[in-house]
Amino acid sequence: MKLVNKYVDKRGSGHVTLRPEDDEDMWHLYNLIQKGDFVRAPTIRRVQTISSTGSTDSHRVRLNLTLEVGAVEFSSSPAPSGTSSADPSNDQSASGLASTAALHIAGRVTSENQHVKLGAFHTLDVEANRDVRIEKADGWDSVALSRVEEAILPGKGAEVGAIVCGEGTAAFCLLSQHMTLVAHRISVHIPRKSGASGASQHEKALTKFYTTIYDAFLRHIPYSNPSLRAIIIASPGWVRDTVHDYMLSEATKRGDKTLYRALKDKAFRVHVNSAHVHSLVEVLKSPEVTTQLKETKFAREGVALDRFYKMLASDEMRAWYGPDHVAFAADRGAIGTLLISDELFRASEPAVRKKYVAIVEAVQQKGAEVVIFSSMHESGQQLNQLTGIAALLTFPLDVEVVEAEEREAEEERKQQEAQTDQASS
Amino acid sequence: MIRAVPPKKPAAKIMKQSVSATSSRASTPPITPKKGNKKLASMTKLAKSTSQSGTATPPRGVVADQRQLDLSGMNLGSKEDVTNVVEEPPKVAIAKEKLIEEVKKTMEAETQKKGLNLVVIGHVDAGKSTLMGRLLYELGRMDEKTKVANERGSNKAGKASFAWAWGLDGTAEERERGITMDIAMQYLSTPHRHITILDAPGHKEFIPNMISGAAQADCALLVVDASTGEFEAGFDRAGQTREHLILVRSLGVTQVVVAINKLDQVSWDQVRYGDICDLLRAFLIQSGFQPSRTKFVPVSAMQGVNLLSRQGDDAKPLRFWYDGPTLVDLLDKLEPPSRDIVAPLRIPISNIFKGQSAGIAVIGRICGGIVQVGERLRALPGDESGIVKMIEVEDKSVEWAASGTACTLHLISIDPVQLSIGTVLCAPSELVSLAMTFTARIIVFDIQIPITPGATVELFHHSRDLPATVSKLISTLDKGSGKVVKSNPRVLSKGLSAEVQISLRTSSLSGSVSTVKSIPIEPFSVNKEMGRILLRRGGETIAAGVVLALVG
Ligand SMILES: Nc1nc2c(ncn2[C@@H]2O[C@H](COP(=O)(O)OP(=O)(O)OP(=O)(O)O)[C@@H](O)[C@H]2O)c(=O)[nH]1
Ligand SMILES: [Mg+2]
Repeated sequence: MKLVNKYVDKRGSGHVTLRPEDDEDMWHLYNLIQKGDFVRAPTIRRVQTISSTGSTDSHRVRLNLTLEVGAVEFSSSPAPSGTSSADPSNDQSASGLASTAALHIAGRVTSENQHVKLGAFHTLDVEANRDVRIEKADGWDSVALSRVEEAILPGKGAEVGAIVCGEGTAAFCLLSQHMTLVAHRISVHIPRKSGASGASQHEKALTKFYTTIYDAFLRHIPYSNPSLRAIIIASPGWVRDTVHDYMLSEATKRGDKTLYRALKDKAFRVHVNSAHVHSLVEVLKSPEVTTQLKETKFAREGVALDRFYKMLASDEMRAWYGPDHVAFAADRGAIGTLLISDELFRASEPAVRKKYVAIVEAVQQKGAEVVIFSSMHESGQQLNQLTGIAALLTFPLDVEVVEAEEREAEEERKQQEAQTDQASS
Repeated sequence: MIRAVPPKKPAAKIMKQSVSATSSRASTPPITPKKGNKKLASMTKLAKSTSQSGTATPPRGVVADQRQLDLSGMNLGSKEDVTNVVEEPPKVAIAKEKLIEEVKKTMEAETQKKGLNLVVIGHVDAGKSTLMGRLLYELGRMDEKTKVANERGSNKAGKASFAWAWGLDGTAEERERGITMDIAMQYLSTPHRHITILDAPGHKEFIPNMISGAAQADCALLVVDASTGEFEAGFDRAGQTREHLILVRSLGVTQVVVAINKLDQVSWDQVRYGDICDLLRAFLIQSGFQPSRTKFVPVSAMQGVNLLSRQGDDAKPLRFWYDGPTLVDLLDKLEPPSRDIVAPLRIPISNIFKGQSAGIAVIGRICGGIVQVGERLRALPGDESGIVKMIEVEDKSVEWAASGTACTLHLISIDPVQLSIGTVLCAPSELVSLAMTFTARIIVFDIQIPITPGATVELFHHSRDLPATVSKLISTLDKGSGKVVKSNPRVLSKGLSAEVQISLRTSSLSGSVSTVKSIPIEPFSVNKEMGRILLRRGGETIAAGVVLALVG
């Protein structure tokens, strides 16, 4: 994403103009734009004119609109999925992937315009390579500003292409810093060996499956792209070895030197325990990824989540989750690492967002670590399932004791209030 | 109470033509129209439209199946693609009520061998496949030709010691690696039992397949390797001996035969045998098996000692100290669990392949009810239905099969794309329920990382596994009384009994979304076999449980 213009004063009020370039940028914008913000972006509107002769004429005009945001919606339309489609119309060149994400903003028009009435309800579909200006009524908080900083780092696109596969299934995933795109899925039935059918149907279906994987790989993994740093083939059992070897030998057979080199240089095989896409978290915490890609956002998230669960196993009193409990821990200055999902900052209530921003700032001020998870990664999804917020504590705290303390404090506060009420009346 | 293989000429009185057990088409009633695809299709259509109009009289010569009439009344079958019918579907031979009577009679008949499904389990390389291969041969189930071919083949591949295992390890990769990767199904027959063998893989990586086999089993045969260090490795925490036992117990298996194998490797050491039995006996009790329902037997699969008999030189050292039952003696005494033949029909599919002729073949063990040739079955999830053209049990064609039987069904007039492993076939009038979310009572296994709300797991139900989350920790329960100990626990740690809510997981990662369909599942109180689940995570089984209620 390009930063076109930025003006934010000390109090945090101001505006930022950004130019999104790819899917990931749309995701950034989705995380930046809140209800109540003012967003200015170009849109196309169909305008009807009535000529002097009375005939109506309809044409499209491109105009810049400013909306007071009522709702933001992010969608990533599915790439062709399902069974091994070899539909050439979906063909995506291996170098540049077609954009699949879209961002829709709806709200009331706040800028006078010759075509649209002030206050009229309108929608904006944010487009790639068109400037979007965001003005925040409530001011730019630290989380929002650091999101802008991250978003404008030179775009890298997909850094890892991962195939999670099992016998008959494969998911082709592209991991960029902030999102995982499941570019394609294959699911073919492999008859299991049986007395009646023998093994021949099994072998035949398997061979076909490997060919399908090879073809899908060519279409969905930008293997020749220099920014793609690793190709991971992950599976339980030995499927990954067979797939890897098949692709190498097939590349040799077909004389595809680029693919051969890419596999030789970038591919590694990772064992995972199931063939479902959620095994990506196992990929992320594998030694292969944590050593080679440790500075990437997805690797850091994977490691942080793994550390949380390990802590839960070894010392339950130092692994807390849930908004209330984590807030208590933050109050007590006990947090060593905060895990928080970007989903929580998208709360429609500004007060809720403020609460989470305050926790983040408090933890950062103590010099502790904050990992903001992207809910577009599998690790973020799993954190979302666990309320979206968790913390590793620097010292053990008993949840029940803390809860009791908090209840007492609350009682006390209420009593005091009641007393002051009495005193004042 | 019995998996009944019907006699070769079932209900002969109803069949007007002579019935040959190998051809299901022979059971088609006399009005069968001549072959002629187009004409046939339109006739079928005609027949259907009349029955749908409500004036249905069953086709002449066929005893009406009440269920089919119900079906047409409900208009459920309207999706059937009639033009797909290339062969006249066989008609249902016999009304359900009469069939139930007949099945009961057959099963109670003294002469009838009882049928059961036996899963063969144990740590990798314990000798499960070798034992089964040898047993099949000894019982005359594997012919000399196959035996010789396997010997030659395995020798050539430099895997001579796997010659017997090749009888079950059928795929190229299994043979190359000398490791069973998926369940092999075979049949054998002892004096009083018909046994369907499910030879499971022992390797940790293939536990999902092992579970698929265990889910279809009534009893288990545990094979352990007695050789020095090997028993210990398998019995270790990281080994599969314990894990397999816990899994089969969780899936409802209560009877186990333990074969202490490879005793030739330890010179038939009686003390070694006794020590191993003692360790296992203690663990079996601890895992909830009754001592009276667990039996032990010393064997050597490789040498074929004590499978059928203890004759010959190889068995000499064993004869010194052992005069108990042989493996076959013990298998012959296994008691099949009771079968509910009047329950609604449920067949969870464990394998699908192309049949020899038209149509598709599916394998499954019947978990309630009876299925017969000619019957229309609905496949769930989805809205497809098909007609049973042929039923095979132990490679023989039969007219019907009852609860507990593992059978191959050949289906016609059904779109195979709609079928997948995990699909449940049922009668159109008694559909299995579908759910995305349900509550369950679980026992948490010996796990390191406690279960948190929202934990991502793989849900195992019959032969399939699906991504799911433990969406709510409802309460922890007292193991004895089942009473609530704590509501809304923060985590579930090892050994706890708890009530939880489980939801199939919908991924919202961008891009290609896998469509999440509800799965056919029933509360344990409705159908035991449809209501058992296992939860796994990171290659470990973390909990087992039963479905309490479907939420949605
Ligand atoms: N000496 C000896 N070797 C045996 C005996 N039974 C099996 N073996 C050997 O043990 C090895 C493993 O045998 P398998 O039958 O493949 O073992 P398995 O339990 O089926 O293995 P998985 O299915 O892969 O878990 C083979 O090399 C067999 O020859 C026995 O009774 N004595
Ligand atoms: Mg085996």
